[in-house]
Amino acid sequence: MRTFKLLLGATLTLVSLMWSPGRAEQSGGDYPAAAKQDPGTDDAAMAQWKRRGQEPDWMAEELAKHKVLIPADNKGLVGKGQGSTYGSVTPEDVKVWQQETYKLAVEGSRIFHSGDRLKSTIAVSCDMCHPDGANTHPETYPKFQAQLGRVALLRDAINWCIENPVRGKKLAPDSPEMRALETYIYAQRTGTPLQYGKR
Amino acid sequence: MKRTIVKSVETRYYEEREALFRGLKNLDRRSFLKLSAAAAAAALARGVEFNLHSFQPVQVAHAATGEAGPVEFTFAYISDSHLYKRQLNDRFVRQLLRAVDDINHLAPQPDFVLYGGDLAQLGQPLELELGAQILKNLKAPVKMMVGEHDWFLDMGEKWRTLFGEPTYSFDHKGVHFVVLHSVMEDDFWSERGMTGMERMQTVAGLDNGIQSRFKVGTEQQVWLKNNLAAYSDDTPLIVFSHSPLYKYYRPWNFWTDDAEEVQALLQRFKQVVVVHGHTHQILTHRIGNIHFHGMLSTAWPWPYAPEGLPALTVQMNRADPFNPNDALGDGSVGVKAGGLVDKLYNLWNRNPIQVTSAYLTSGGKSAVPLTPNLQSY
Amino acid sequence: MQYLKIKNRTAFLLVTMVLPWLGACNARLQENAEGPRGAHGALDMDQQKTLLESLLPERDVTQSPPGVDPGIWQQLVIPEDNKMTPERVALGKKLYFETRLSKDGTVACATCHDVSRGFTDQRPVSEGINGALGKRNAPTTMNAFLLQTMFLDGRAPSLEEQAKLPIVNPIEMGHANEGAALAAIADDPEYQRMFSFAYGRAPNYDDLGRAIAAFERTFVFLDAPFDRYLAGSPEAISEEAKRGWNLFNGKGRCMSCHQMNPSIPIGSDNRFHNIGVAARKQNFEQLARRALEALAQEGDMKAVDRLAIETDLSELGRFMVTKDRADIGAFKTMQLRNIALTGPYMHDGSMETLWDVMDHYNKGGEPNPFLDGGIEPLALSEDEIDAVVEFMFTLSDARLAEQNQRALTQQRKLAAAKRPFRDTAMAERRVLPFEERVMGGTR
Repeated sequence: MRTFKLLLGATLTLVSLMWSPGRAEQSGGDYPAAAKQDPGTDDAAMAQWKRRGQEPDWMAEELAKHKVLIPADNKGLVGKGQGSTYGSVTPEDVKVWQQETYKLAVEGSRIFHSGDRLKSTIAVSCDMCHPDGANTHPETYPKFQAQLGRVALLRDAINWCIENPVRGKKLAPDSPEMRALETYIYAQRTGTPLQYGKR
Repeated sequence: MKRTIVKSVETRYYEEREALFRGLKNLDRRSFLKLSAAAAAAALARGVEFNLHSFQPVQVAHAATGEAGPVEFTFAYISDSHLYKRQLNDRFVRQLLRAVDDINHLAPQPDFVLYGGDLAQLGQPLELELGAQILKNLKAPVKMMVGEHDWFLDMGEKWRTLFGEPTYSFDHKGVHFVVLHSVMEDDFWSERGMTGMERMQTVAGLDNGIQSRFKVGTEQQVWLKNNLAAYSDDTPLIVFSHSPLYKYYRPWNFWTDDAEEVQALLQRFKQVVVVHGHTHQILTHRIGNIHFHGMLSTAWPWPYAPEGLPALTVQMNRADPFNPNDALGDGSVGVKAGGLVDKLYNLWNRNPIQVTSAYLTSGGKSAVPLTPNLQSY
Repeated sequence: MQYLKIKNRTAFLLVTMVLPWLGACNARLQENAEGPRGAHGALDMDQQKTLLESLLPERDVTQSPPGVDPGIWQQLVIPEDNKMTPERVALGKKLYFETRLSKDGTVACATCHDVSRGFTDQRPVSEGINGALGKRNAPTTMNAFLLQTMFLDGRAPSLEEQAKLPIVNPIEMGHANEGAALAAIADDPEYQRMFSFAYGRAPNYDDLGRAIAAFERTFVFLDAPFDRYLAGSPEAISEEAKRGWNLFNGKGRCMSCHQMNPSIPIGSDNRFHNIGVAARKQNFEQLARRALEALAQEGDMKAVDRLAIETDLSELGRFMVTKDRADIGAFKTMQLRNIALTGPYMHDGSMETLWDVMDHYNKGGEPNPFLDGGIEPLALSEDEIDAVVEFMFTLSDARLAEQNQRALTQQRKLAAAKRPFRDTAMAERRVLPFEERVMGGTR
């Protein structure tokens, strides 16, 4: 009798474990746990998900606050490829190209408008002197800037600003933040002719 | 290694110098002149006046160009300091201190000093108190005006305890002065469930599109109408406002939504001057009998907006990023008979720029200010 | 090993007391190693010429010198009416060391721009005829050809114009006027011959200025350890100096005004800034009003020159030339090349060591209504200051390495003893510039 009770208990425990919600995750399925379906389940997990930059609404949130000009739509390229692989542009292609480009520009807008993200020690962000990216004139780079001792690219000017008016920590030239900032700044001047060397 | 704080050579010299000048203040005017350079006294005798803000001798008696007579009195201004607490951002504090130092060294002293709004950056009590403490050191009396950065954290609770009601008026030497709260905004925060700080940070972003456009609002319009009722049409009228009271560039709230209604209330007066803050740049505009003048900021400069710039504005050179004080400063306004004004922009590390009443009354044809060589992008 | 045996006590005492004294003497002798000092502390003119010949290699003066961009040399440095020729350089050399160009025959250009003293006089302010002291520190003539204006207030637009002014300044070289100066040398047949070879005409004052300028254009001292480091030798300067160079470009904000680039490698933006040195002791507003009065009465180049050197209006700096409010108390950004050898520093020579200079910048200069906005408290630590100073000592030309080392030792000693301009509370922004003026001081 005792053995039977033991076995029953073990079976029931096993069965209950198999049916518990955590089982799906532990099974190592292809998709992450359904965090987006039930906002109330696990706040810690939800917070971690958001912090990884996967906030589903981050783009909409940023665009509600700040206008970011959209990249070229390339629609004219669709369906006229003359049979070459490279020329076979689909509507999905142009959508992806535009969306990915735009995403980086909007990410740049987020950093541009945030003293925290720029790691400013004096709570200054780029938009204080450059609302909507005004007066950043990326079309005038590269140009010799005597105060930097050399011909400066846009990223050199950005880094100088981060070090001085923003009093933050310089970014590595190919860091994700620098790439995003450059994308945003170029985005806001789309359509302006290049004039390198202009003061 | 223990390091004692040394009283530097400079500090000691300055203490001696300040002691000398403090002593001088006790002298009567004649003794002071004697101590001053004899040349200055000779210059005064010849009727030539030196204004600290401008090292061009300003003729006291104007030539007969058809323009209004001499400046009858002056008031100074400091605006848009955007203070954080000093442990966080010392630069903005230092710049406000510099402006106060400038005004305190004006000789003769102005009749009063207008503070043009945005004393704090995020409307926090610490910031407003720091600003109040610094402004207390102005020798001349101060007239305060509220800006959006002062208001939207607590909807003016702290401002009122420190400075009183944001909307008021006063008379001075025959001129009627009105101070408006022109940065009211329609509620955009309740539906979004924003906290006070979230609301403040939204408003603090110049290019943040979520906030509403500035306005004076119907309540203040009614107040204004009643306030002005007692004054005849030829009373000189000067209006202080943080937002421009006209429509320059909507995305940056360089804009007052009910500008036309407010202007309508001012239209019957022979001469109205509006002095406004918020734009951190030289701005000049005219609508009929109303002359609009902007004020400089002490904290940071702004580029001119991509469109909507009033035709009368002669831009100032854009800011040199390598000089944190460039395109910033303070200034003064010389008020003449009939309410016309000469507006002086005291730009740090640049020659001062004066926008005279002659420039505005001539529609921009005479007394044109210097044009820039470094345009805004 | 006989010298080790102590013969008697007297000898022992003599040795231990005399040797250190001899050592100190030796140091002084080393300073004056080149020879005896003459009037106003200058090395004897012939000794200077010999020293200069040992410093400057023989070369074709019509070609651009090594270390200078040939495009810059042709387009910016050489004026149309004064091309370089060996005859002009030789004439200029004779004139540079010519004491007859002073009223009492004791002062030449080389008196205050002494080859053995960093091509300056290493004094706070310069001394002219009759021991008269001026108000300003003499800039070095080394690399001066790369500056766009001359004098600390830029009142002379070229080397030619600059050379002509001190000769007729009452307290510098003291000749009554250009004619008197010329008369002192025009009868000399040697000069007549040299002027004729150089410019094809009889001696005249303008050509005198041109010749001196041509000679000064040979003072190229741009071969410092720092240049070798930039050219690709990482061992040319110490790690600390490299840290200093990074700070120079970064936290120290030095590069904003002391610009160094391959076109103009001397460390000056050729602009004028009020950094507050002049603010310590006077009321700018009053001075400016008096200056406008004085200049309204007499405002030509010679009047400005006299007012700048002789009167307290000197402190107004560039304002005396432009009368722009932004230039009140502003002086030219000096070059940093060979800076170790051109102390004491600042327009009034009030700073003895480069540590003093760093202390002044570190605390944000001296607040005054016209302070340049680029001057801010820097919050540099002592280590960072040492690194920047170490970097500055790598800027002296390799031919002057011995003098550089002596200067380093001497300045280090002085700085260890006192740092009168240091203000840590201001540097670390615990007290802010203008705070004491506005709120009243409690320190």
